[in-house]
Amino acid sequence: MTLFRIDSLTKRFGGLVAVNNLSFQIQEKEIVGLIGPNGAGKTTVFNLISGILSPDHGHIFMDGKDITELRVHTRSLMGLGRTFQIVRPFDGMTVLENVMVPLLARDRDPHKAERKAFTVLKQAGLAALAQANPQSITVAQRKRLEIARALATQPRLLMLDEVLAGLNPVEVAESLPLIRQIRDSGVTIFMIEHVMAALMSVSERVLVMDEGNLIATGTPDEIVANSRVIEAYLGEEEDKSATG
Amino acid sequence: MKKLFFAVLALALLLAPLVIESSFVLHMFILIFFYIALSVAWNILALSGNVSLGHCAFFGLAAYTSAVLYIKLGILPWFGLVAGVAMALLGAIAMSLPMLRLRGPMFSLATIAFGEVLRQVAITWRDLTAGSEGLTIPFETGWLYLMFSSKAPFYYLFLILAVLSIYISHRLYYSAVGYHLRAIAADAEAAQSLGINTSRVQMIALFWSAGITGALGVFFTQYVYMIEPEWAFSMMLFSVQPVLNGIIGGIGTVSGPVLGAILMTPLGEYLRSYLGGLHQGFNFFVYGLILIGVVMVAPGGIFPSLVPLLKAKGWVRNGPQETTPSSPPGNPPSSKETSA
Amino acid sequence: MIDFIQVAVSGILLGGVYALLSVGLTLIFGVVRIINFAHGELLMIGMYLSYLLFASIGLNPYLSVFLVAPALFAIGVIVQRLVIQPIQEASAMMKVFVTCGLFIVLQNLALMIFRGDYRTIQMDISMAALNFSGISVSLPRLLAFAAAVLIFGGLYLLLKYTFIGKALRAVAESRPMAQLMGIRVQRVNMLAFGLGAALTGIAGAFLLPFTSVYPTIGSIYTLVAFVVVVLGGLGNMVGAFLGGLFIGLIESFSGTYISPALKEATYFVIFILILLVRPQGLFGMGKGTEEVGLK
Repeated sequence: MTLFRIDSLTKRFGGLVAVNNLSFQIQEKEIVGLIGPNGAGKTTVFNLISGILSPDHGHIFMDGKDITELRVHTRSLMGLGRTFQIVRPFDGMTVLENVMVPLLARDRDPHKAERKAFTVLKQAGLAALAQANPQSITVAQRKRLEIARALATQPRLLMLDEVLAGLNPVEVAESLPLIRQIRDSGVTIFMIEHVMAALMSVSERVLVMDEGNLIATGTPDEIVANSRVIEAYLGEEEDKSATG
Repeated sequence: MKKLFFAVLALALLLAPLVIESSFVLHMFILIFFYIALSVAWNILALSGNVSLGHCAFFGLAAYTSAVLYIKLGILPWFGLVAGVAMALLGAIAMSLPMLRLRGPMFSLATIAFGEVLRQVAITWRDLTAGSEGLTIPFETGWLYLMFSSKAPFYYLFLILAVLSIYISHRLYYSAVGYHLRAIAADAEAAQSLGINTSRVQMIALFWSAGITGALGVFFTQYVYMIEPEWAFSMMLFSVQPVLNGIIGGIGTVSGPVLGAILMTPLGEYLRSYLGGLHQGFNFFVYGLILIGVVMVAPGGIFPSLVPLLKAKGWVRNGPQETTPSSPPGNPPSSKETSA
Repeated sequence: MIDFIQVAVSGILLGGVYALLSVGLTLIFGVVRIINFAHGELLMIGMYLSYLLFASIGLNPYLSVFLVAPALFAIGVIVQRLVIQPIQEASAMMKVFVTCGLFIVLQNLALMIFRGDYRTIQMDISMAALNFSGISVSLPRLLAFAAAVLIFGGLYLLLKYTFIGKALRAVAESRPMAQLMGIRVQRVNMLAFGLGAALTGIAGAFLLPFTSVYPTIGSIYTLVAFVVVVLGGLGNMVGAFLGGLFIGLIESFSGTYISPALKEATYFVIFILILLVRPQGLFGMGKGTEEVGLK
């Protein structure tokens, strides 16, 4: 079942074409990875999907409905969740309250929200930090808070933006089962990652972008062997060796 | 223990006018209640991170609406109250235009301009407002006319208004709206991507904030029974003062502005009558210094900064904090909390 | 037709003054990134200083500029160092409060020292006007306009060709990068504030021959300066100049054809309109506008 579809999506910033005529689909309960060299336009795609940016051209469909014109919060209420590359917890609110915020957007009862938030924190392994200030917890814990908060929105599609960045290998290894668990509970996952091995091991399908274009899609094995992909990444390396 | 304290306090406040003879002291209480209500109302909007320096616009709009309706058309102040609050809400719609597109200092600047424009209009539109000469509310006493010859009824009136304002603020703070306002203040875009309609939530806060301020404008004008543009649209009195009270007591909590108002109002009056008499502007000069000083030394407010200090000395024990809901899930928060 | 031209000419001259008073603000904003609610107070101080020099030793305001400018420079540096720098990293809300507090302190200090009266100076030149085939051009305003042009020109050259200018531009472009390049950002901030204050003080001295000074004059001019600067694009020098002219014209026309009493209301309304319709101003956004709340 196609949950999500992008059709000819284009975004320009002045003279720069950040996203060029992108089209792809995501099926329900897939884990799809999005990779590409820096500046390929991956986070721009996320911002276009979540609604922070408006496309110059193209459409976005969720559950068959055209959501291109919908506002950010409406898309979230429809089941589009995301995390941010640089985590954005709410300052001045505890970890628990951070998770309550999206719950309260769906059910206005604070007592219920508080109980539900505790449950979400427990599932994310953050229950002990409920009263803590997000500034005082570790990066890994903040990332898990970011995910927990996005999960509290009961998403159909969860977009993870480099959730493994900055984690040590142990933390990365701990996060992968969590991602699979989330998928098993019925959430489709679309994730940007640079931690290649981890992404390849958890994704079922991978999309590759370079300079705004979608240059390849396929299984992790197919992608790794794809010459265009190699060129896109290695092309970078060649330039690097030329200058340094 | 806390319940006993509040019960005694409530009793004392209710009985005070029967015991106090001094008109001056009663006037001071009235001013304190008024500023508690005003500061709490301003704070509702400030929760979302929108610092308005134009609340005098709501005050003045409502005050003039009610006064003009009474003087020109004989419409009783109670109906004038409804009309006045409606005008204040119209003003809120006007203020919502900059609010939803600007943040931080640019929004504050726009609100200052808003208040200024209205002040100019009030001065210039002499046919309606008699310009700088001002208007006097006809002196008819009784609850029907919302005017009294003694201070005691006003005392109770403003006490009720203060309690109402605190109650509304408290309900908002602990509701979904309250959490969302705080989220918006922290990171509006992140809040949106979690499903919060940030425009709608800010509008709610703005409407409550403006509406209560407008109502206070009507009532307070009845108390002083005179109105003129420099006063009704005074940035210092009705925009800066609540801000100062909020800063001292701690913005972002319900009780912060209350404590700030209780501390600053008598201080302000003292400064005005003694220092202001010595030298025009001395009192506001000191205000400015206090404002700068508090922001630099205790940006979270004097009272919130004192709490950890007092805790360390054992004067204050841990209780439900205002930044989190009641500790065991399921317990309703008590109706009047201090910040410790 | 003559009347129209007269109004337009008066407007342009007035605009020159507004441009002069706004250049300091846009410079300070561009580098230090702070919305200074007390900007008009700097103008007020400049005017009072000039007034005092005239009243006590009969110094011509056009000459007092040479004393007022350094004095305001020093004041600007002190304000930046003692008041702004400590809160540079604080939240936007706190910065609003501090500069508001500063505005209240300065304005009321003036009130305490000078009381509420309007102080005016009378010079031969105050009433002088040149006549160009029926169009009267007030001489002091013309001088102020000339000063504005000279100052803008000088500033342009400073920014483009001198090391100081490059340092200012570097910090305005990117604080972290400038730091990495070895530029002492805090010193540059002080320089920018001092320079901006000095320019505003000069504007005050040039205003005095044809404007009375009173303690609360700052507020009005702060708002005018902001309207001009936002119209021209925060941090944009050329924009500030053209914006000043534009606002001068608006004020002149609305004062003549609508109502003199509402001319302030007119440009406040314009201010709000600009913020709503084109917050980046006529000439596009400078850097750092997101920090202060424009989108």
